Amino acid sequence: MAFPTQNSAIRLAACDCLTPFGDAFATHAALLRGERALSPSPVLGREGGDAVPLALLPGRALDEANPPAWLHSLQTLLAPVAGPGWGTARHPVCVTSSNFGVGSLYALRRTGEAGHAAHGTPHGSVELVRRALGWGENVAIFSHACVSAHLGLVHASRLLAAGAADEVLVVSYDFLSPFVAGGFHALKILNVDLPVPYQDRATGSIGLGDGAGYAVLSRNHGDFALEVQSLHNEMYHFTANKPDGSGFAAALAPLAAAAAGRKLWVKGHGTGTLEAGRMEAQAVAQAFSGAPLVGWKGSLGHTLGSCGLVELAIAAASLRSGRTPGTVGSASPTFTDAVALEPFDNTAFDGAVCASNAFGGAHAALLLSHA
Amino acid sequence: MLERYIQAVRTDAPGSEEPAATRDRLKARFAPGAVRRMTQLGLFVGAVLGELQPGEADALVYATQFGEGRALEGYLDSFPGASPTLFQTSIHPSGAQQGLIGRQRSVREFFPLAGGNQLVATAVQAALLSDAERVLFCGGEERGTWLVPHGAASDRAFAFALALTRVRAADSIGRLALEPVADSAGALALPDWFELLHNRRPFAGAVAPGWRLVLEWQ
Repeated sequence: MAFPTQNSAIRLAACDCLTPFGDAFATHAALLRGERALSPSPVLGREGGDAVPLALLPGRALDEANPPAWLHSLQTLLAPVAGPGWGTARHPVCVTSSNFGVGSLYALRRTGEAGHAAHGTPHGSVELVRRALGWGENVAIFSHACVSAHLGLVHASRLLAAGAADEVLVVSYDFLSPFVAGGFHALKILNVDLPVPYQDRATGSIGLGDGAGYAVLSRNHGDFALEVQSLHNEMYHFTANKPDGSGFAAALAPLAAAAAGRKLWVKGHGTGTLEAGRMEAQAVAQAFSGAPLVGWKGSLGHTLGSCGLVELAIAAASLRSGRTPGTVGSASPTFTDAVALEPFDNTAFDGAVCASNAFGGAHAALLLSHA
Repeated sequence: MLERYIQAVRTDAPGSEEPAATRDRLKARFAPGAVRRMTQLGLFVGAVLGELQPGEADALVYATQFGEGRALEGYLDSFPGASPTLFQTSIHPSGAQQGLIGRQRSVREFFPLAGGNQLVATAVQAALLSDAERVLFCGGEERGTWLVPHGAASDRAFAFALALTRVRAADSIGRLALEPVADSAGALALPDWFELLHNRRPFAGAVAPGWRLVLEWQ
């Protein structure tokens, strides 16, 4: 059984992201050109290891500095929404991530330098950001692996729908470290192969990327609406989904019902793993018959807890420009005929579905449309 | 004002219990074989939450400041041969997921919060904003070891779970509310919240700028 988690239309007053290509505009343009930010990098940074596909911000090392090197990049991303007032009762902030500053804990353990510890916990990392940006104390911190950003959007939407806030700033950031690269490498899903989302091949693989994003949500400002948001948690297995794909279907069903009769395209999760990719592609084909399915992690890598917000910003840029990037890096054969490998014109479409999935069989999806 | 009624509360105050003792004390609460890979926090939270019988239509809110401290320590210690098992279990919100996966209990919504000065305030807010008929609000900590002096793991252990409903019932045992108030500031730490629940003590006071929390028992 699935329910819409949030079905009051909420406006996207501002939204942008940061990837190795730059902001949402630059990232969208690079994806349209079919460029890949991923490149082979030692999985353990300065300590070496296998060369795996990572997409790091230009000039940023995998090993963490003190203070964290990502802070300046995050401040630059958030400069357009800087200013007093965020973090107050009527203008709260939701911060989401799956990594926060955990690279600092890895640095603490490997170097013994105690100064890293202050930024290593979620609350320590967010406190660093909060002070740097001058936010007040009203900051919620959500972390649910790769659906984290969606939870921030749902919570923000509910605050607005309940009249408990005037605007909400949702911020998500995930910057890679040997901690997370080593973990996915140990799980044997981050290996020497580049990811090719939704491509039917013998072995699956993912890539990882630095990513951050923000959205300002409002009841009445902005040219895009988050119409319906949906969540579902299978609780079937830590790293696998129910084999019947029912978790994917449950998350998409409320959006399909709300979008009946409208022409949509789908931005899927598409990390490059085989079973999840196949189930997702089939669930999308069933829920949104004929809708093109794209995934961008073959270029950007998986930006983990921030992927929902990073890819939302790119989806909004796509709707704004009329061009949707294809599934960069992938080739035929694909899991379904709906997988769009090349960019396409989206001006005849009514909106986009943006979906993310996570460990624990967690699913999240939202319907983005012109307001 | 946001409010819900408390239908049930469960707490566990294990003191300085070591993980092996916790495993032995709580193993009967979980499926055979499931406890072997569970963390201490997973056992604490899974046990109290399990007593409330989570269902698919429930919304779940989970609050912890530090999460899986020992799995995190063990994972960091495992480099350069990173442990895949400890990587999985160190990832937030593993503490709440372990018991639910062990019981194969899907849930509609799951809002895991990960610390901060307003952890209790925002977790309560998430619980009270949900449109689910029943919300289960759980949380807790496990005691870490070498990360504790760095302020990166908890120095105490506890767990709690609340069942919250929209409507007051004959068997409601309390009320939880958040009221907007002007010019207030404050915070309520997770261990202090746990003590309120464990001792069934009432509370009324600012927990975040602009928000006052009311906890009443009948």
